[in-house]
Amino acid sequence: MTSTLRARQIRYGGSLHWILRAIVAAVLVVLVWRMVSGAVPSSLGKYTEAMALAIAALSLNLLFGFNGQISIGHSTFAGISAFFLGYSIRFWDNIAFVSLVEACVLCFLVGVVIGLPALRLKGPYLALVTLAIAYVWPTVARQFIERKVTAVTGESALTKFLVRPPSWTGLKNTRQDRALYLFWVALALMVLCYVVVRNLRTSRVGRSLVAVRDNETAAAVMGVNLARTKVLTFGVSAAMAGVSGWLIAAEIGTVDENSFTILTSIKYILALILGGAATLTGPIVGAFAYFFADDYLKRHAPHWNWLPGKFGDGPIASFLLGVLVIGFVFIAPQGIVGLCRRIGRNIATVVPEPIRGPTHEPANEPNNLPNNLPNNLGESTS
Amino acid sequence: MKELLQYILDGLSIGSIYALIALGLVVIYRGTGHINFAQGEMALFSTLVTWWLHDKGVPLLLAIAISAALAFVGGALIDVGLMRPAGRRSAFAPVVVAIGLFQGLNSLSGLLFPKSGQGLPFPSLFPNKPKDFVSIFGAAWRIERIGVLAVVLVTTALLFVLFQKTKIGLAMRTVANDATSAKLVGVPTNRILMFSWALAAVIGAIGGALKAGIDTNVSIGSMFSVFLLSAAAATLGGLDSPGGAVIGGLSLGVIESLVGNYPHDWPASDWIGIKTKTVVAFLIILIVLLVRPSGLFGSSRVERV
Repeated sequence: MTSTLRARQIRYGGSLHWILRAIVAAVLVVLVWRMVSGAVPSSLGKYTEAMALAIAALSLNLLFGFNGQISIGHSTFAGISAFFLGYSIRFWDNIAFVSLVEACVLCFLVGVVIGLPALRLKGPYLALVTLAIAYVWPTVARQFIERKVTAVTGESALTKFLVRPPSWTGLKNTRQDRALYLFWVALALMVLCYVVVRNLRTSRVGRSLVAVRDNETAAAVMGVNLARTKVLTFGVSAAMAGVSGWLIAAEIGTVDENSFTILTSIKYILALILGGAATLTGPIVGAFAYFFADDYLKRHAPHWNWLPGKFGDGPIASFLLGVLVIGFVFIAPQGIVGLCRRIGRNIATVVPEPIRGPTHEPANEPNNLPNNLPNNLGESTS
Repeated sequence: MKELLQYILDGLSIGSIYALIALGLVVIYRGTGHINFAQGEMALFSTLVTWWLHDKGVPLLLAIAISAALAFVGGALIDVGLMRPAGRRSAFAPVVVAIGLFQGLNSLSGLLFPKSGQGLPFPSLFPNKPKDFVSIFGAAWRIERIGVLAVVLVTTALLFVLFQKTKIGLAMRTVANDATSAKLVGVPTNRILMFSWALAAVIGAIGGALKAGIDTNVSIGSMFSVFLLSAAAATLGGLDSPGGAVIGGLSLGVIESLVGNYPHDWPASDWIGIKTKTVVAFLIILIVLLVRPSGLFGSSRVERV
C-alpha cells in the first residue's frame, strides 16, 4: 500500500490561516526583538548589512524573478546611490533622507537609460551588457573620487559622512545609538521594499511582468506594452538597488571604488537564488542565509582543526561558500523557500476560498437539486 | 605612423588572447546556451598548475602540455559531475553552478598555491628581453607579441579545422543548431557537450599560460579581467559564432590599445586614455549591440508562439 497521506487543507482567510499568520508574525517579532536587545553596534551593523543585501535581492527578484531580465550590474546602482549619499552629505550638507529620495530618483533614471538596450537584448547579451556596466563602474568611481574628492580634501575615498539619528527618536549621536537607528531604518526600508514588490506582484502590473517573462510575444499580443513594462521594471529595480547601496554606505561610513564591484552583484544573485527566485519572501530569506553563512565561515572556518593544516590560513571560507552554493543547487534547486514549500506541502496546503456568488453557489439552495443526480457523470457511466 | 602600427600589433597580440578565451566561451555557449562564468578561473587554475610543474623543473612547453591534458580531463569532469546534473534541476541552475565554480576555483587556487595572492613569476614562452624585437616598416615588433599572436592564430586555425572538417566538429555544430533534433538523429549529445567543456578547459589552459607569459606573472585576480574582456569580445562577435569571437577579440584588443595610447594633445584626452580604455571599449560594444542585438556575426533566434 502506497502512503497516500493527504495534506491538510487550510482555507485561505479562514481562522486556521489567521492563526498561522499570527504565529509567523509572533516569530518575526521575537526574532527582531532578539536581534535588538542587548546588541552591540557591530552585530547590529551585521543585521543592517544583511537587510541591505535583502533589499538588493528583492530588487533583483523584481527584475529577474518576475520579469525575466537578468542584471549583473545592480552593484552599479548601489554604488551610484552610495556615492550620492556620501558626496551630498559631505559637501552639500544634505539631509540623509532627502539624499535617499534623490538617490532613488537618480538610480531610477539611470536604470531607465540602461534598461533601454534591454528592449533589444535578450538573455546572455543583456547579462553581458550589465556585466560591462558593473565592470566599468569602479573606473568611473575612481575618476569621480580623484576629480571631486581628492582634489578638494586630499582623501582617497568618500568618508566622514554620518547618518545621525534625528532628535525626535530620543537616540543620541553615539556609536551604539547610530547603529540602533540604522537598524530600524533598514528594517523599515526592507519591509517597505517587500510591500512594494508584493503589491506589484499581486496587481495587474505584476501579472503583466510575469507575462512578459514567460512569453514576450504572447504578452504583447494580449496588450501588454513591452517597452514600457521592461524599462519601468528596470528603473524601479534600479531605484530599489539604490536603497540598498544607500544603507550600506550609511552603515559602513566610507565608500570607494572597490565598495561595489561585480563581486557585489554576484553576491546579490547568489542571495536571490539561495532564497528562491520568483518567490516573495525568497530574497529576504536568501540574503540572511547567505550573509550569515558567509559571516560564520569567515569567522570559524580558519579555526577548524579537522581541516588539513595549511588550509587554515587560506581563503577557506570563500572556498566553502562556493561549495555550499553548488551543493545548494542540488539540494534545493528552487531555493530555501522552494524547499520549505515542498516540505510544507506534505503537511498542509493553503487553498483559496471557493468562488462565491449567487449563481454558482449550490450550498445556498441545497434542496433544489434532484437527489438522484450523480455528482460525477464520468463515474456513473463506468 | 610607425607608433600606430606598433599599437595595433600590441593590441592584436593581447586581443588574440581575448579571442582564444572567447572561443572557449563560444564552444560552451553553442552547446548549452549558457555563459561559462568559470572560464577565467578554469584558465587560472590550469596556469597555476603549469607554474607548479615548471617550478618543479619540468620544461615550460611540457608543463603547458601536461596541464592542458589535465584541463581536458577536468573540464569533462565538470560537465559530467556538475553541469549536466544541474541542468536537469532547473534551467538557471548551470549558471549558478558556474558562479559557484568561479568562486570555488578562485579560492581553491589561493589554498593550493598560497603565494599566488601576491603573484608568482611566470616565464614567457618567447624571448622577451628589451632587445628582442624585429623592425618591420619602421615599427618595433616584439618577438614575444608576434609569438603569442602566432600561437593563438595556429590554435584558432586548428579549432576551425576541428569544427568544419571532422566528425566531432559536425556533431558539435549539430548540437549547437538543435540539441533535441541532434539527439533524435543519433548524435551522442552528452558526449559532445562533455567534449565541449573539455575543449574549453584546454583553451583556457593555453590562453592562461600565454597571458601569464606576457605579464611575466600570475596572480589570483589576473584572469578575471581577461574573462570579462573575452566575454565582451564573444558578445561583440556574437556568442554562437567562433569567427565572430576571433574578430571580436582582436578588435577589442586593438581598440583597447589605441584608446590606451590616445595622444595627450588631442581633444578630450582628459577623458580618453590609459585609465579609461576599458570604459571606452565597453561603450563601443554597447553601441554595436544596440544596432545588432545578437552581436556582429551571431544568429538571431526566431521565436514561435
